[in-house]
Amino acid sequence: MTVPKHDEPRHPWVLRATLTLITVGVAVLLATSDPSGSDAENVGFAAGEGELAPVVDALAPPRSADEDPAAAQSPEPAPRNCEATASNAGGDNNYIPGAPELDDLGDGFVITGRVRSAGGCRALEGIPVRVWLATQTGTERDNRATVLTGPDGVFSLETDPTIPQFGEPNIHVGYDGDRYETVFVRRVVDLDDEKAVVNLTLAEDR
Amino acid sequence: MIERERYGSRGRGPASLDRAARGGPGPLLFATAVVLLAAGPIALALTDPYMRAQPTALLVSTAAGALAVAALALQPLLATWATGRRRLRAHQTLGAVTLGLVLVHVGALFAVEVDDTLFAMSPDGPTRARMALIALLALLGVVALGALRARLPMARTTWRIVHAYLATLALGLGMGHAVLTDGALDGAGTPLLVGYGALGLAGVGLAHGLRRRRTTHP
Repeated sequence: MTVPKHDEPRHPWVLRATLTLITVGVAVLLATSDPSGSDAENVGFAAGEGELAPVVDALAPPRSADEDPAAAQSPEPAPRNCEATASNAGGDNNYIPGAPELDDLGDGFVITGRVRSAGGCRALEGIPVRVWLATQTGTERDNRATVLTGPDGVFSLETDPTIPQFGEPNIHVGYDGDRYETVFVRRVVDLDDEKAVVNLTLAEDR
Repeated sequence: MIERERYGSRGRGPASLDRAARGGPGPLLFATAVVLLAAGPIALALTDPYMRAQPTALLVSTAAGALAVAALALQPLLATWATGRRRLRAHQTLGAVTLGLVLVHVGALFAVEVDDTLFAMSPDGPTRARMALIALLALLGVVALGALRARLPMARTTWRIVHAYLATLALGLGMGHAVLTDGALDGAGTPLLVGYGALGLAGVGLAHGLRRRRTTHP
């Protein structure tokens, strides 16, 4: 028995084309998205792993011809400028100015990094770095601290282990002082990571 | 004629179908299924160690999301039985409840952190959030199609295909969102979610096939 005519679409190709278009659109939307959000690099490591950003003083000299003939033929000079770290979307989410200077926010997870200048790639000492994240003991608004960099530009803050914040553990690190341009970054880690390395390269304030 | 279109073309009116619905195990069976399907995700979500020290709004959001997962899995199966007025109403009601749960899930996230919710829904948001957003739009479409079925100037086959298509989109992307989200439904929750997704998708196929068969072979 045939179906009455009004049961079938008058222009089946319109329906097929529309659904195909929607499917392609959804596929494109998903394929062009970043798994963790725009520029949210995964900076998590096991304890003892992860590298700090190099500074000019710490850069190795060009390798000898015996070690690396190609490098000897065109030795790269040590960089004199480094690309400044750019803020990324969501970097300043839940930021509250004036985080207290604290030695730690618990234990079990370490957030560290080196702060250097874009001009000269020098290590910057005494820079107040803002850090906030959700941990097993509280939300991002509860767990915030300011930590100062040492002579080698390195800061380090121990916190309680991270927990997922909106589906993934996030680390927020930023600088909002007077000498350099403000920068806030949002990075992600895995749940079993014990350490996050977030390096900042600051551009001089214009 | 309108009644025939709405309730099938097997020569039985809605009254006889209602009688069949009342006589069968439908309501009790589906109530039991709702409880059983909801119990797993709810138990996993609310006993999750990451939920400790979290605001109440996040607990509400997580619980609503977990319930929506169970409802999404069950809803297509309910559609396979929605031949009488009462069962059709049950299917429509569960659809509206599912949408309500998803809206509570999203609304409670706004109460937790406005910044993070807006970021997740922005073009810069992560893939899992984009999946959720598309799934929500598809769910809105499914529910609107269900509510406006009699008023839409749409051929029955077209309605059925679009309804099934949007349901598949809502289900697949909704489950994908839940699987990619770290936290409450990790570990044992992942196979559970995949199973629920498969159950729901099988239900969509079954419901669509049954409807087509009823229409072409009354």
